[in-house]
Amino acid sequence: MNGAHDLGGMDGFGPVDPDPDQPVFHAEWERRVFAMTVASGFLGRWNIDMSRHARERMDPVEYLSTSYYEHWLHGLETLLVEQGLITSDELAARKAKLSAEAR
Amino acid sequence: MPGDDHLHNHDHSDVPSDLALRVKALESLLVEKGLVDPEALNVLIDTYETKVGPRNGAKVVARAWSDPAYKARLLSKGGKAIAELGFTGRQGEDMIVVENTDTTHNMVVCTLCSCYPWPVLGLPPVWYKAAPYRSRAVRDPRGVLADFGVTLPDSVEVRVWDSTAELRYLVLPQRPPGTDGMSENELAALVTRDSMIGTGLAKTPSTKGST
Amino acid sequence: MLKAADVEQTLRKGGSARVDDDVAPKFKPGQRVVARNLNPLGHTRVPRYIRGRSGTVDRDHGVFVFPDTNAAGTGKSPQHVYSVRFEASEVWGAETGAKDAIYIDLWDDYLDPV
Repeated sequence: MNGAHDLGGMDGFGPVDPDPDQPVFHAEWERRVFAMTVASGFLGRWNIDMSRHARERMDPVEYLSTSYYEHWLHGLETLLVEQGLITSDELAARKAKLSAEAR
Repeated sequence: MPGDDHLHNHDHSDVPSDLALRVKALESLLVEKGLVDPEALNVLIDTYETKVGPRNGAKVVARAWSDPAYKARLLSKGGKAIAELGFTGRQGEDMIVVENTDTTHNMVVCTLCSCYPWPVLGLPPVWYKAAPYRSRAVRDPRGVLADFGVTLPDSVEVRVWDSTAELRYLVLPQRPPGTDGMSENELAALVTRDSMIGTGLAKTPSTKGST
Repeated sequence: MLKAADVEQTLRKGGSARVDDDVAPKFKPGQRVVARNLNPLGHTRVPRYIRGRSGTVDRDHGVFVFPDTNAAGTGKSPQHVYSVRFEASEVWGAETGAKDAIYIDLWDDYLDPV
């Protein structure tokens, strides 16, 4: 698909920030998204190409305005919901519950 | 900053906490359903945060600089030669090593996502996965190199490798001058991550302390 | 479910997309090829910037799973993957650095002979 992920040759994103001291992960949620994505791959419900396609199907405006591990999170949620392993309602309800508990 | 409001019409301080909640919610559901083992997640994170990283690749490069027979194997059968040093596995199953010389400079990108040789370099840096590098590396490699402080003579051919398939690329940087007689360990200390992606050069002994 | 005790060995083993099927290559190193102008609605690994451009097969990597069908769940369609060299001037125009080149890994089904 001609999605926002197909970036080769686009202009206007500005210079590369080559900071050599950037950490592998910037926040705990990035660590968990990375690990959940790798671990869930071993459920055998999808392959790497399906997993890439799930990220590419992200809304293009959202894709370009979010960070890398947000793409992974979106892709993982998409695959889990499409495979019937979780539902969007379950996810929303669990988030609301955790949010209420955190107050 | 004024003028940025049209792009960022949300409160930045809310973003991480909302994401953190979304991720926590997902993990708690997956654990409850028996789909992920939280302890396995911890091991995965620890592996790529503290164990697997560019020091692996630096050992491969230092060996190639020290041992011509190893270098020949590395350039012809990259994966097998890398496996001799014990670096194998996920996202490094099919390795290709490309050599920088006086006339050729190689640089690796993945314009479509973030393909990267994990067993030798660990997880990619943020810039490798972000739009500025992915968009421009193929169109203006010399401009990108300038962002990294690298300027190459016009006589050098720049080859950009776009990792569109399941081959994973490692650049063998040029051995810096003034390193005759150095041990593999001393040489490995000169090999930066960026020099193995091709956005940098190996350090020379006099600049050893800098990045 | 991936258990903590199995993580190290599982990662070390990996999972190659290379397949053993005996499939004949459609192209050989040195041959001139053109990247097809494909615009599928599904997943593909032929970037937009290379579609319709001509290049030269640099090397044959062997036989791999084909992402377009693998992502659609319609099979592995094993076929050869090649590293194809495209001159920067062919892709970005004559005013671009004439000596530079882009090497892209492309499957048989993304290529036509010139």
